[in-house]
Amino acid sequence: MLSRKVLFSTRRLNTLHRPFSNASKTVASVVYTGSPNAHDPAVNSTPELTPEQHQILDTALRVDQAGEVAANWIYNGQLFVLGRDPKVGPLIQDMWDQEKKHLMVMDKLQVQHRIRPTVLSEVAKVAGFALGAATALMGKEAAMACTEAVETVIGEHYDDQLKEMEALPSTHPSIPLLRDVVKEFRDDELEHLDIAVENHSQRAPAHALLSTIVGAGCKVAIEVCKRI
Amino acid sequence: MLSSARLLKLALPLIPTHGFTRAALAESVLALPASSQHTAPLSDTAVSALFGEGDDARRTLINAWLAEGISQMGKTPSSTSPLEQASPRPSVRDILHQRLRYNEQALQYLPEAFACLATPTSITSMMLTPLDPVPAVKHAVGIADEACCVSGDQSLQLSWYTRRAALAGIYTAAELHQLASPKTAHAFLDSLLASSSKLHASVEEIGLFGGYVMKSWQGIIRSSGIF
Repeated sequence: MLSRKVLFSTRRLNTLHRPFSNASKTVASVVYTGSPNAHDPAVNSTPELTPEQHQILDTALRVDQAGEVAANWIYNGQLFVLGRDPKVGPLIQDMWDQEKKHLMVMDKLQVQHRIRPTVLSEVAKVAGFALGAATALMGKEAAMACTEAVETVIGEHYDDQLKEMEALPSTHPSIPLLRDVVKEFRDDELEHLDIAVENHSQRAPAHALLSTIVGAGCKVAIEVCKRI
Repeated sequence: MLSSARLLKLALPLIPTHGFTRAALAESVLALPASSQHTAPLSDTAVSALFGEGDDARRTLINAWLAEGISQMGKTPSSTSPLEQASPRPSVRDILHQRLRYNEQALQYLPEAFACLATPTSITSMMLTPLDPVPAVKHAVGIADEACCVSGDQSLQLSWYTRRAALAGIYTAAELHQLASPKTAHAFLDSLLASSSKLHASVEEIGLFGGYVMKSWQGIIRSSGIF
């Protein structure tokens, strides 16, 4: 337990000083992204839950999946405008690749735990693309400010979710795995936040106003996707 | 321990002979093992206390039978383990046929059972809607969802909904057909599944074409030099 904590804090420290690399890290989601193991109950079955516990899992995974869909399309929109920029182009591409991995894992989790996806996935795609493209049109700094605002809200959201997931039973192997995956994704999202700040997100025009609007929009989207 | 859930399970085999009746529930105690053997069926008061007053007891029995039908999906008749462990996952077609066969044992009682489920429980809702469509929709969607899950369907986002809606529609049509004409129901189900997959293929082709149109517009916008 202690060693894991130490590992965790060094990882956070590293991300503050390191631009972008996590290829060598052993991560929890590798059981979903790597070669499929057909007999592992942790990735193939869903636990027996009480209606309240199922409600927690249901809303959590639905929001996460919708969030990853929107995040993918935000980066898609940003890259559509800034794709040929020599500095931020590859950076956005890297972050997008990570979001693609997140979405793939969330899709698998949705099927595994038999979660109803949100009805609003098409809305999330259009809104995400529009947000990404609009902020990118305002400039590189505004695009980074958008990333900063979004990832702040998403990071907090994953953190709250980890607390909610304490209510789920750890007896089934899929639940500890799920917690580790959410932790990993939270760290990834916070890494994106650091990258955005390092790339002068705070020099964006009307930074405070922009991040308030984007952040509030994300919070509304989270609440809506929890329900429908 | 005598619990209503255990008695419900024992009442299910009585349905083909007794129908979805309070009598089936009352006689379920006769099937208990020797250690807790009863000699007489449950009294009417006991059935009401365990399973609900009046028609509510019948609704409990019908719902238990439907739930058992769902849990039987994807299992071979001989063994109780899901097929997926031994052989590859069963196809949606096999699963739906299997579910129709599950209906056969109680087919003569089914129209009445569905009518019972569709009857609103309170007077006020009866004034508003003489028929309650929610149980029928739940029944069809539950079967569609289970069929998707057992067959290992991986559809995501909107196709998650369209896939289940299509299967629920197909199954409902086949089941209604089965109530009227049990012999031709399986062939009817096959024809519905075939036309559904044809429709699905054409929709996908349209989607692909739409994707190409979008891509070419993206290319035109890019090459126009606005960005």
